[in-house]
Amino acid sequence: MSTLKSIVRRVISSIPVLIGVVLIIYLILRVLPGNAIATMMGEHYNAEAERTIIAELGLDKPWYVQFWMYIAGLFTGDMGTSIKYHKPVSELIATYFPVTIKLSVMAALVAWVVGIVCGVISAMRKDKLADRIGMGFSLLGVSVPVFMTAMVLQFLLAYKLGWFPIQGTKEGLVCYILPAIALGWSSAGSVARLTRSTLLEVMGSDYIDTARAKGRSVSGAVVFHALRNALIPVVTVMAIQISSLLSGAVITETIFSLPGIGRLCVDAISGRDVPLLQGSVIFATVLVIAGNLVADCLYSVLDPRIRKEV
Amino acid sequence: MRKHLAFLLALVMVLTIAAIPAYAADEEKVLNLASESDILTLDVAQTTDDYFIPHNVFDRLFEIKVNPDGGTDIVPSLVADYSVSDDGLTYSFTLVDGVEFSNGNPLTAEDVKYTFEHLLTAPKACNYDIAEEVVGAEALLDGEAEELEGIEVTGDLTFTLTLVAANAGYIAELTSPAMSIVDKETVESVGDFGTEPAYTIGSGPYIVSEWVPNDHFTLTRNENYWGEAPDADVVVMNVVPDANTQNLMFQKGELDIIDLDALDSSIIDSVYKTTYADSIVPGYRVGVTFMSMNENNEFLSDVNVRKAVQMAINRQSLLDNFYGGDGIIQNGMIATGVWGHNDDLEPINYDPEGAKALLADAGYEEGQITFEFSLDSSSGDTTAMVYQQIAQDLAAVGITAEIKSYDESAWLDFRKTEEMPAFLGTWTMDYNDPANILGTFFSNSTSGRSLNYANQEIKDRVDAASSIIDDDERMAEYQAIEHAIVVEDAAVVPLYERAHLFCIGEKVASFVPHWAGFSNFFVRDVEMN
Repeated sequence: MSTLKSIVRRVISSIPVLIGVVLIIYLILRVLPGNAIATMMGEHYNAEAERTIIAELGLDKPWYVQFWMYIAGLFTGDMGTSIKYHKPVSELIATYFPVTIKLSVMAALVAWVVGIVCGVISAMRKDKLADRIGMGFSLLGVSVPVFMTAMVLQFLLAYKLGWFPIQGTKEGLVCYILPAIALGWSSAGSVARLTRSTLLEVMGSDYIDTARAKGRSVSGAVVFHALRNALIPVVTVMAIQISSLLSGAVITETIFSLPGIGRLCVDAISGRDVPLLQGSVIFATVLVIAGNLVADCLYSVLDPRIRKEV
Repeated sequence: MRKHLAFLLALVMVLTIAAIPAYAADEEKVLNLASESDILTLDVAQTTDDYFIPHNVFDRLFEIKVNPDGGTDIVPSLVADYSVSDDGLTYSFTLVDGVEFSNGNPLTAEDVKYTFEHLLTAPKACNYDIAEEVVGAEALLDGEAEELEGIEVTGDLTFTLTLVAANAGYIAELTSPAMSIVDKETVESVGDFGTEPAYTIGSGPYIVSEWVPNDHFTLTRNENYWGEAPDADVVVMNVVPDANTQNLMFQKGELDIIDLDALDSSIIDSVYKTTYADSIVPGYRVGVTFMSMNENNEFLSDVNVRKAVQMAINRQSLLDNFYGGDGIIQNGMIATGVWGHNDDLEPINYDPEGAKALLADAGYEEGQITFEFSLDSSSGDTTAMVYQQIAQDLAAVGITAEIKSYDESAWLDFRKTEEMPAFLGTWTMDYNDPANILGTFFSNSTSGRSLNYANQEIKDRVDAASSIIDDDERMAEYQAIEHAIVVEDAAVVPLYERAHLFCIGEKVASFVPHWAGFSNFFVRDVEMN
């Protein structure tokens, strides 16, 4: 019950955060030079048409009126209409989100499963060849930029070997494998290094010695006793990584031509499409808040003492 | 029994062999293309840029035909016959009989009239310059009228169109993609069809059968098309924002035509001009890349400074170094390939010493002249390098051009304030008439271009020239105007007309680029193997 209360409290407290985020984005875009209508018309700028469309979209009203109307609309589920795409923002997010969620989930699987497995093996084989290979793999992941990994994977595995599609989504889930590896590898590196260090620390604890004295094998002690405690800080990092996976998606979506939220955000910024950018940012903020909530819940699963504290 | 079995086997073999060519003959011809960005609307009333759908799904009253020698002619498309009144104000048209939209509705004079009205009144309408010339357009725009007074439907296939002022280039304007004829019944029923493939009803060779935003859209043949059927059955336009990905796709055979404009010139030189040299289809972006100089600027208001800038820039070096020499140096604003282009216009010679002397004679000290040279960062690395080279050329004669970079939206916003001191611009022709470029940049209705061209007499002459009925006389007047603008007033520095190269894959037998070099070409000009 107390956990549920805590979740409800967290959800309610995130509402002012969301409004703050919307206000900041709104003000930044107000301060930045440029406007959506002139950008839309480009070389064929027509002052009269610009004035007409601005009035048509209500963009000639004072900023605080527009902002208030936007916030009021949010409470009725109306996220506004994209100036650039001529479509409701909620419809655009619903169209583009499935691509981003597929990419992010697969990248998270790469990051977390590979990262944790690699970290555990490295810890169990400390200073052995497997440890060096594992740590080398994670160092590469952390150091090489996502766009470089993406381009190398695309060239070798898609273009040269033809194992995967070069781009697009037409061939289904297989299209997401290379982008997910490119996006997830960097996070896998951090997870692996953190898992290794925390596991090594936990492995020196008395209760692990007790477990070993009772006849547990090394791997048994790791899996049934050490890993659970070692994962608590790892879960914190994993929750933080949700936002970096979303932001990293911008680059991978561009290189692999995936129509996801990342590209939508870039379009919104370059086109000064305020409603679309606000909608996308609100959506990303909700995801990050939800990710952190899930992480908090996971703590209590991993460590009953935290549940009691909550 | 053995005989029966042998007969059966022979029959199966014969049928199998017979089926192979039949299958091959029935195989769909799919043309795979790529674009860096997705279209934003299917309705040409709401865009001045997304012309792939208008070109391939809709028809216009007239089209521009590219001749085998590369020249162009205006040819009637939906028009069977037309005449113009002696005063050049009223046009009488008869439409081709039997043309149907893809939904089976007949294309009538009412649809043409509605198209003009839709251009003026559609939600977020921004492409109505041509429709605006018709009598009654202003009243419709202002909401004071419900229909366009200047178009009178006189029969199912006949109508008259009256202009506010005579414009001898109006037929050329009707070839513009903006003038794509829509189905009145469909558009009236949905209001805004801008994002709905099902309501994008034209009379052109294709229909929009699918649109997955930011991923791809697909065109399939319009079975009701009244003209000669295009060769490709299906056209898939993939949205591929990364140029390197487009390059890999083409080399792997996943694209049948690649627009080389998207690629870095080093890749074009090292890969396409070597490995694919025989598959390159050359064309030109018919229009001039120019350096604009704002006459409201403290220094650029002086014609001596503007002339010195013209003389200081090594234009051939820019074309050779950054575009592999693929283009034509231009001395005027009416580009090669545009009616009225003047090959005999005085050349602008690269003469840094002459530029220095001119500035010294005008009383300027070295380093005294400074202005901002505004760069749109989205225009790419090559353009940024051109800016740097120009700044160096100007520095060599004692002029400081400070390059300042803006993102596209901020750049456009700054330019429309009329305060941007200097920048590089490119204008690709919408229709083949000098009025398109001279009217846009040097007429009394020019706005938001940051040029502030001050010669009132020339601006009045630009406005008046379109009313000259005799084509030869009109072209002579445009050439005289061009001379005054570029040679006498040195209002701009014409640089070059760039080549627009495409490369075709094995599935494509031939391809004729759009006459003005648009990336949004006509697919019916593609023949497949």
